[in-house]
Amino acid sequence: MGVDQQSLLFRLIRELVRLPGIGQKTAQRLAFHLLKAEREEALRLAEAIQAVKEGVTFCRRCRNIAEGELCEFCLDPKRDQTKILVVEEPSTLYAIERSGGYRGLYHVLLGALSPLDGIGPADIHAQDLLDRLKEGETQEVIVATNPTIEGEATAIYLTKVMKPYGVRVSRIAYGIPVGMDIEYADEVTLIKSIEGRRDL
Amino acid sequence: MPLLKSTAITLKSRKWGEADRIVTFYTLRYGKLRGVARGARRIKSRFGSALEPFVYCDLNLFEKHNDPLYRITQVDIRETFPQLREDLALMSAAARMVNLVSAVTAEGDPSPGIFETLAGGLRSLQDNNDPLLTTLLFQIRLLGQTGFRPVTDHCAACGKEFPAPHPPLSPWGERREVRGAQFSPVSGGVVCSPCGSRRPDRCLPLSAGSLAFLQQALHLPASLLTRLRATGQVRAEVEAAIESYVTVVAGKRLPPVDFLAAEGKEPVYGLTRSPQVSL
Ligand SMILES: [Zn+2]
Ligand SMILES: [Zn+2]
Repeated sequence: MGVDQQSLLFRLIRELVRLPGIGQKTAQRLAFHLLKAEREEALRLAEAIQAVKEGVTFCRRCRNIAEGELCEFCLDPKRDQTKILVVEEPSTLYAIERSGGYRGLYHVLLGALSPLDGIGPADIHAQDLLDRLKEGETQEVIVATNPTIEGEATAIYLTKVMKPYGVRVSRIAYGIPVGMDIEYADEVTLIKSIEGRRDL
Repeated sequence: MPLLKSTAITLKSRKWGEADRIVTFYTLRYGKLRGVARGARRIKSRFGSALEPFVYCDLNLFEKHNDPLYRITQVDIRETFPQLREDLALMSAAARMVNLVSAVTAEGDPSPGIFETLAGGLRSLQDNNDPLLTTLLFQIRLLGQTGFRPVTDHCAACGKEFPAPHPPLSPWGERREVRGAQFSPVSGGVVCSPCGSRRPDRCLPLSAGSLAFLQQALHLPASLLTRLRATGQVRAEVEAAIESYVTVVAGKRLPPVDFLAAEGKEPVYGLTRSPQVSL
């Protein structure tokens, strides 16, 4: 650990010690936990602290980051109200926005199901999404969770529980990244991209 | 920087930093180990899907001086077990398998038997329609190869041989004269009745059939294991005993085997103190 990283860590410990009921040892343990924790996990804490101080919250409807009750996309009447695109994190949402290829609404899970870590449907507030479908305006849900085991588990689960609502449910296609040689694609990506082929 | 090569199975994969992953493998030659895959989360990463859980692969890595984390240089997929990614029941059964291997093994302590049991367990999940039974058998077999092997032939608490030693059981017939027993998760096996009544923790009942099943699961050659069946009371008792024991051995409740069915259910067995067992 370099000197700079060390003093950053000590700065965090000093801040934690200020909190009621937190001693030096606990502060060290918490600081080390945050240091070792997943970036997302640690930043969630930072985000949460920031949110309560600055009034930044999560959108009541789609759980995207919002400054009021609803986020900028839920408030925008020009967005296609019949489509919902489901993502794990707000950062994915903004990546999709930057692409400019989607004009519907979003739903942010703020996580993903994980049989490996015991993260279940309640942890990702799956019911919130179903409640939106009950309102009846949605015609299509696009599941854009990551192509990881957690993202797959989430997609399988959501597809199953959304079935009774009679909306079209689709999964974003897997495929070969643009500009890449097909021969360098790994086996799973290759199989998935052939399965997910489309007519020309 | 010595270069290491081994066949391996991915146990888990965690995001790390901006675009990296830390991956835990169970390797044939070196046992459990963790490595960093630089840039693994970038779209054009050379690792692709090879670092996802439940992938059977050939692993190349190198060791860095004074660093417990290896650097992963190349991963070639042998088997991806695609069905385990397409069905939640299979996925959570496989998750339990890798979680248990993770919990009962130490880094750098190879055991070819554990490797084969894991590979065999994932394979049998793929081509069988009872993931819960497959996982139950896997857990018994895996524990059987570690210092946590469930004790069934003498009292796990006082060591006393059982008065009438259980006769050799035919693999498919349950002998009527074999009496039921008490399973103590904290003692790591079946206990005699005086010990059972004295134990401060909760013992779980095992009927004669359940005890016979547990013994067969531990002793049968791997090739015959798939013929072992358990239904009704036997299944429920052995599942409860093994689930509690796994909780003790792992020192925490592992995510449930039946992931979605377990939503909102109370744990079978709560453990508040640290287990008195070690490898
Ligand atoms: Zn919103
Ligand atoms: Zn005893």
